[in-house]
Amino acid sequence: MEIPEKHQSVFQKAREVLEKLLALMELPATVEISEEFTVIGPDEELSSIGLNILGEDLGILIGRRGQTMLSLQHVVRLIMSHQSEFKLPIVIDVEGYKERRCQGLRTLAKKLADQVKARRVPFTMEPMPAFERRVIHLALADHPDVLTESTGEGDARKIVITPKRPAVIDLSPLLCYSLPEKGNDGEE
Amino acid sequence: MKELVEYIAKSIVNDPNAVSVEEETNEEGITLKLRVADDDKGRIIGKQGQIAQAMRTLLRVKAAKAQTRVRLEIM
Repeated sequence: MEIPEKHQSVFQKAREVLEKLLALMELPATVEISEEFTVIGPDEELSSIGLNILGEDLGILIGRRGQTMLSLQHVVRLIMSHQSEFKLPIVIDVEGYKERRCQGLRTLAKKLADQVKARRVPFTMEPMPAFERRVIHLALADHPDVLTESTGEGDARKIVITPKRPAVIDLSPLLCYSLPEKGNDGEE
Repeated sequence: MKELVEYIAKSIVNDPNAVSVEEETNEEGITLKLRVADDDKGRIIGKQGQIAQAMRTLLRVKAAKAQTRVRLEIM
């Protein structure tokens, strides 16, 4: 991926901050540009910086449900915004973990959407971090037959996929029971 | 341990000169005492303690590798 000249310094800066943190954590690792999470528009407009960390035994840096990776991302974003007025998202990946997870989530989202469409009943997913919920919302944003929304708070926040046309409950069997007729409830 | 907290703290406060970190080791592990200017306290803690939490998570990675425990106190 070719980074336009005018954005190279901000990439360089983000990379230096991340490398500095990794060195202080005494983790031997290298940093490369993540093509998946770097977003450059057609007019060379930059809307996201993606960096991927490579090295041995980096599971410790990913953490449970990617929490450690998110902490690292949080710190890099803070340092960048404080030191360089840089306000765009910076996405930190480790060994392509997030990239694979996102691809898996997109496939899962499509599959679940088909199920919800066929059965016409809502489906509630497992709780997921904000970043992963966003991937699902985006994957199904243009879906013609289902809607997505998040419910719950904090760590328990999860996505519900709802059909746009819910199942129609057939009431016709009830019609064979006739309603009590008017006027019969008076005196005998 | 100390250098990691010092670097992060100095990089996000308005008054880096007021940042100091004291490191103590006892049988329970390492305790880090972070001091910053009063005006910068909020910046170090973050909303709902998010930044302090992120720093603790990164410290834990380093502590796990060194097979010790680390506590971060913001004074």
